[in-house]
Formats: sequence, structure tokens, C-alpha cells
Amino acid sequence: MSERKYVGRPAAAVDGLDKIMGKAKFVGDYQLPGMLHTRVLRSPVPHARIVRLDVSPALAVPGVVAAITSEDFVGHSLWGWPIQDQYILAYRKVLYVGHGIAAVAAETPDAARAGIEAIELELEELPAVFDPAQALRPDAPQVPLESPTGQGNLCADIIVRYGEPDPILAESPVLYEEVFHTGRQEHAYLEPEAALAIPHPDGSVTVHYNGQSPFINQIHLCQVLGLPPEKVRVIQPVVGGSFGGKDDLGYQTSGQVAALALKAGRPVRLVLGREESMLASYKREPMSIRFRLGADAEGNLQAAKVEMLADSGCFSSQTTLAMLRASLHAAGAYRYQAVHVDTQAVYTNNGFSGAFRGFGNTDAAAAIEQAIDDLAHRLGRDPIDFRLQNCVRQGDRFMSGNVVSHEVRLAECLQWVRERSDWDRKRATFSAQSGELRRGIGVACYMHGSSLGGEGADYANTTLKIEDEYQITLTSGLTDYGQGSRTVFTLIAAETLGVSPERIHILRPDTDTALESGPTVASRSTMLGGNATRVAAEKLDRLLCYAAASALDCTPAQVARHGEVYVNPSEDEVSFEEVVDRAREMGLTLSVHGKWSMPHIEWHVESGTGTPYYCYTFGAQVAEVEVDVHTGQVRVLKVWAAHDGGTIVFPQGAYGQMYGGIAQGLGYGLLEEMTYDRGFPQALNYDEYLIPTSLDVPEIEATYIESDFPEGPYGAKNLAEPVLVATAPAIANAVFCATGVRHHRLPLTLERVLLGHELHPGRGETACRRALGFDQSKVEVIWQT
Amino acid sequence: MKIEFTLNGEPVHVEAPASITLLHLLREHLGLTGSKPGCEVGECGACSVMLDGRVVNSCQLLAPQVAGREVVTIEGIHAPGGGPNDLQLAFLEFGAVQCGYCTPGMVVAAEAFLARHPKPSRAEIREAISGNLCRCTGYQQIVDAVEATAARRRAQSEGRGQ
Repeated sequence: MSERKYVGRPAAAVDGLDKIMGKAKFVGDYQLPGMLHTRVLRSPVPHARIVRLDVSPALAVPGVVAAITSEDFVGHSLWGWPIQDQYILAYRKVLYVGHGIAAVAAETPDAARAGIEAIELELEELPAVFDPAQALRPDAPQVPLESPTGQGNLCADIIVRYGEPDPILAESPVLYEEVFHTGRQEHAYLEPEAALAIPHPDGSVTVHYNGQSPFINQIHLCQVLGLPPEKVRVIQPVVGGSFGGKDDLGYQTSGQVAALALKAGRPVRLVLGREESMLASYKREPMSIRFRLGADAEGNLQAAKVEMLADSGCFSSQTTLAMLRASLHAAGAYRYQAVHVDTQAVYTNNGFSGAFRGFGNTDAAAAIEQAIDDLAHRLGRDPIDFRLQNCVRQGDRFMSGNVVSHEVRLAECLQWVRERSDWDRKRATFSAQSGELRRGIGVACYMHGSSLGGEGADYANTTLKIEDEYQITLTSGLTDYGQGSRTVFTLIAAETLGVSPERIHILRPDTDTALESGPTVASRSTMLGGNATRVAAEKLDRLLCYAAASALDCTPAQVARHGEVYVNPSEDEVSFEEVVDRAREMGLTLSVHGKWSMPHIEWHVESGTGTPYYCYTFGAQVAEVEVDVHTGQVRVLKVWAAHDGGTIVFPQGAYGQMYGGIAQGLGYGLLEEMTYDRGFPQALNYDEYLIPTSLDVPEIEATYIESDFPEGPYGAKNLAEPVLVATAPAIANAVFCATGVRHHRLPLTLERVLLGHELHPGRGETACRRALGFDQSKVEVIWQT
Repeated sequence: MKIEFTLNGEPVHVEAPASITLLHLLREHLGLTGSKPGCEVGECGACSVMLDGRVVNSCQLLAPQVAGREVVTIEGIHAPGGGPNDLQLAFLEFGAVQCGYCTPGMVVAAEAFLARHPKPSRAEIREAISGNLCRCTGYQQIVDAVEATAARRRAQSEGRGQ
């Protein structure tokens, strides 16, 4: 194969220039003359019946132009995927603190606030449930209006069935049984949710929303607005981070501004403040995970039984699918003879859970990687040796029973972090410490199923068109919210077409100009969108080759390339521009469409068997920590990380994903937990919900170990999510190495490390009410006694 | 009330409510949207601007407090011709930009720091940007970009000195 010019070479993010100059326009930066400002009335209680809701007094407030409730939508604004259990604005009941009830659009933000305060709302508080295990009891208050499973608060029941673990566990000489708990993590994207709707004379509406999946947004908007797709256009502006987090609340926000804009006949914008965002938005689901692991006397893992319980909060959102992924990764990247997983997701009145980078595997890997470490310790084995002995290799079976069909370089990843971190020497040194500050070093590894797998139809579309000035316009139905896919697609198109990346201009994702490509989730962009781009570029390249052959008076097979120049065997040359001109003279249409679909696989949810993902990525990380045994403070000194994700297309972006993922994993492992006290979130801003700063994140030494994956675009797989999942357990295992204490619960806050349990501040209710503006409004809550 | 100060090297006279923050004065009255609201409690640094050469959170200052003083925003940071300067280009070169929402504040904070610390260690750079939260990058490539810019500026000034 000839040397690659763009794929895998240094490149700058194609949308970086506007960002470094402060010129990139986020939704909050738009200024349209006549644009109205929105405010949403949100619930001050976790569970209540809406007795009376009258927005007409709001319309009497000077400056208020329009007001809406669930009655202003089709079907009371019911929507949701895969389970329809949400409303754009609450219908009949409010289910969590922060639940949107009504919205107004006004000339100024102050008038919108006054409008909200004028709304007459009477709530009758209902008994609420906050503990997932209690929510499953038959006498628990039911959270959803209708139970999707017909079993009260049970929103999903997921199984994995590979072999029969019970008889094996009964015979196993080594049996490990333990429960782990993970915390509720806030996405904390720097830009909160924001949407702008512009109505048009034909009754159609354009929505600019800073989310991930404009086509999914369009489907929901069409449903609740009762409009056909041609009357709802969704454009993705520049997005200030998402990490899975701007789906559901964003679809609600989009629906609210769209309905208000259609009612008012003017542009309407809603920009959430930080407190409103933290109150109303969904989080990573907290889980409890119970393991029974069996090994033989030589330390070979034999069987696993895993039971998981997830708090979905008041909506199912993506928790059901995240729990499918959690279940399919629950026993980790190891070889077993049999595995059963039983997972339940449960409704409660604790806000709601949804998609977050790692999508179930973050939690699952955090638990199994601590369990494996614990088991290795009990067996007196080195944690890396134990993992190398048991980790999956090509030809083995995954924990879900399907065969490992592609090359796996997990063992190489483990070896790399072992050598680079000076693991063996440090493990020996750290085993005998007694001072106040104790060092520890820990490891974790992972597998991560690529793309959607059994979660949905898996394809992507790209179009390419050569414009009059010889620029090439690229559209993709997949979107970039910071992860770098626009650059990846540009580099793949440039490589395939043999043109400079500067020629290629990628349009903003837009339901009017791009082709639907499913959701931008599951780290699927590089493989799916990259392949669609490669397919489109190969088509366009072939067309240009006919034109070049015509211009050079040779056969297409004889055309060679020197950069953008086309050359025939006689060394005659024509430029890219001349070839394009010739193609046009020949009557060729220089626009193409490429589609790529994942090879077909089947996972059977009813039987818990099949092949859940076509391929997987793998990796390992080591963390070194220093624990202050007098304060409980854990400082991460360094992280080493290796990921097997196939070919790396955009190295700066790929390493940025790795470092950023590790920072988020560090937060998940040490700092971040959104706790709820009787339904009230205990943190509303960055002064209370702490995410890692540049002083918390250590220097990271990382590498990509490129395995062979011929189906990927230039051999690329994926990386954005999996690079996060090993960090928290690696840190927890390092803390265990330093202190000899296993905590079984993340994050490892000071209190947990020092005392073994958390402290309850219990101060959230007043702060939540103040943030929601309930110190002044006319809401009447009939408190249940 | 009338507020007069120097903004990105130019005098400005603007009529605005006395209670408005500098951030909102910049964004809503002066059309400069490069400074971002991220938390409005002075924690995230997305609204960072330079006030008399020092980095401040513009969400925590009332606009009248800058009267007679010198404010530099991201819109005032560029090469002489208006294009990106060396630090901004280094952000691109080292992959220090992902979603871009923290980037203007990060560039402002780094410029203010580099003006006073021409030879910083990586630890000092981390300290200098610790008031600016980034959720995407894990900070490492931002530190790389600032470190490389400092080294290049030193090399350039040494070159000029010879």
C-alpha cells in the first residue's frame, strides 16, 4: 500500500480556527432582531399531581407574547425512545424536581421570568420513591403514568445467557462474591442546553439545537408538533460538549421553543443557566452490581453470575439500552465457560438517567475491574498477570458467548502499560508502606462493543459534491460536538480522493441538506461515517478518473496521481481543475452519495443470546496515586493508557479523546457524584459539583496499539467512549494497593476513603427552590401529611 | 448609566444598567460573544477576560467596575493582521481544541499568564489555567500548546537579542 498522506498524519481540527478566535457561534451567541426569550416553569417537588394549571395570567404580563403547556402539543406532547414515557411539558403529573410544566416566550428575559411567576399552578404532592430496590416493591408509589412493563416501576429487565454457570460455580474451588456501587455522574458540558426556533411563513419551523442527533430530534418534533418532516428542519450549530448528555432535555427544549415560535410567529430562544441545566438534565445512572465469580485452583476464571440494578429516575430515556450494553460487558474482557447476567432498570423520582459516554460499560467496567482485582488479590496473584492469564484472545468466546472473531491486542495493551509504568518495581516497593502519604498503583482493562450492535439499525450516509470553484462540499448525517469527526471525515475524503483537505468543506449537520444516518452515539462516527465517506469518495474518484483518462488520452487504469495532479504513462499531466472541467464537458454529475452499513449481526433480547456487536475495541490503563491516610485525599500522580482501536485517522483528536476520557473517568472515580436527598439534587453549579481541573488531572502517557481491522475505513475502529471506562477502576485499584482497603463504592471521595461512608449535607431543597424561582411565584403545593 | 473604558485597545462609551455584569455588557451591549457564560458564579472561567493585564471572570464584575480601565477579550487577541497569533495556532497544532466553549477563556488566561511568565514549567501552566474548566481535553494538549508557545517566544526574543 502506498504511503498515506492525510490519514494518521498531523492535522488541525477543521472547525478549530473559529473556536480559537472566539468567533464560533453557539446558540447563546445568536442575536436575531425580534427574538423572544423563554423561561420554563419547573416542578419544585419530586412527585405531584397537577391539580390546576392556568397560563392565562402570564399572557397578561407586559412583554409576554406566548405561553404553552402540554395541551399545546399533539398527544399531550408524549414522546420518548425506545419507550414513550416523556412529555415535552408535564402531563397530569410531575415526576422530578425540575420537571418542565409550562413555558412562556417574552420580549425580555425579565418579562419571561415575570410571566412564569404569574402562572397559576396547584400541585397535590404524591408519595415518592427514591430507592431503586424499594421502587420494585408492589406497594411502592408508581412513578410513570403507565408502566411500560406492566410491572409497576420496572422499566427494563435484561438477560444474558451463555452456558450454565450454576453447576460450574458449585464446583469452583475459588468463589468470589461481592457487591459494588457506582455513582450518578453529571455530564457538566461547559455549554448548557440551548435551542433557537425560527418560524417560517409556510407554517414550518427551523430549530437550532446544540445536541448530538438532529434527525432524531426531527422525528420527535414532528410527532409532538403534528407536522410532516418537510416542515421541521433541525440544524446542529456548534456544540459546547455533550458526552451523551444533550438528548432528552434537548428534545424537550427544542419542542418548547418550536411550539412557542409557531404560536408567536417570531424567533424564540431558550438558553438554560447552569443551575437549571444541572437540575433538569439527566445523569449517568447509579448502579449496584453483584458478582459471583468462580475460578479454578490455577486462577482460570470459569463462570460468572452478575445481577445489576440501575436507577433510571423518572423516565426510561436511554437507560434501557445503556443497561443492555452494561449487561453485555458485565463480566469484563475475560474468558469464561458460562455467564448469566440479570439486570433491572427501575423508575424512581430521582431526576432521570440517560446516555453518558461509555453507556453502561463505564459502570460495568468500574465494577468488574475492581472485582477482578480483588479476586487476584485473594488468590495472591499480580493483577496484571491474572488479567493476562484470563483476558480474551482471538478465537475465544466473549462473556456473551459469541466468538472473538477479530484480532485482539488487549494483552499488548496490558504489557505496554505494565512496562511504561514501571509496574513490577512499584508494586514491590508500595507493598510495605506505613507513613501518612502512601503510594499505590492499579490497573484496569476493558473491551467495548463497537457502534450500536443490538441497540439499533446501524448505517451512515455521506455526500460529496464538487462546487463551481473546485471546492468539495461534504455532508454527513453524523455530527461533531467536539469529538473531531468533522476532521476525521475530511481526512478520509482527502486521502481517498487524493486532494488537499483544504479543498473539502464539511457543512453543518442539517436535516434539510444531509442524509439521515441514525444517532451520533456509541463512538460510531469514525467507523460508520468514515466508511460512508470512503465509499462516496471512491465513487467520486472513479468518475474523475474517467475524465482524467479522457483528458490524458489513456485508459482509466493507466491514470496515476502525483498529489492533485493526474498523470498518464507518457508523463503528461492535468490538474485537478482541468479534470473537473473535462468531467463537466463529458456531462458527468460530480455529486455522489455513499452509504455504509454494519455487517448484519443478531442479538436476541428474549433469550439473551446471539452476537451483540460485530467488533470490539480493547485497552488497559494504569494509575498511580498518593493517598493521604489522615485526610482521605487521593491524588492521581500519573496515568498510563493503551487503546486498541484499529487505525488512528486524526492523531491529535484521538489523543485528545484519550486525555479527556481519562479526565472524566478520574472525576467519576474520585470527585463526581450528583446525590439526591428525597428527590432534591445536592449540587447545582460547579462550586458544588466538582469536575477535575488542570491540577486534578495528572500528566498522561498514552498510546494507540493498532490492530488489524480490514472492514474499517483505512482500518479504523473507534475510541471515544472506551478510553474513559478503565480510569475509575484503575484508580480504585491503586487506592486499594496503597491502603489495603476496598471500598466497593465510587466515587472515592475524601469521606469514603477516610471514614468508609459518605456525609449527608442535606441542604438541597431550599437551593433548588431558589434556583427554580419559587421564592416568589404563585405556585401552591398541597403538602401531603 | 454611561460606562467608559478601553476595550481591546479602543475607547468605548456605552450606556447600560449599573447592575449589569461585564460579561453581559460585552455580549449584549457590545456584540462581543467570544466570552462565554458557563456558570456565572466565577467557577468555570469560560468568561475570562484580561483587566489591566490580569485574568478575571467577567461574570463576577459589574460593568461600572471597569470604568477607566483596560479590558482585553478574546476578540482582542490575534496576530497583527487579525488572524490567529502563535498561541492560538499552537492550540490547533497540539489538538487543544475540542468543543471550543472553554477555548476563548483558556486562550485569554494563557496569554495573561505568558505575559508575566515567559519560562513556565508545566506545573506552573497547570496552576495558571486551573481557574478554567475544560470537560473535553483533559488539559494535557492545552498545557502542551502553552508550553510550546512559551519556548518559541523565548527563542524568538533571543534571536532578536543577538
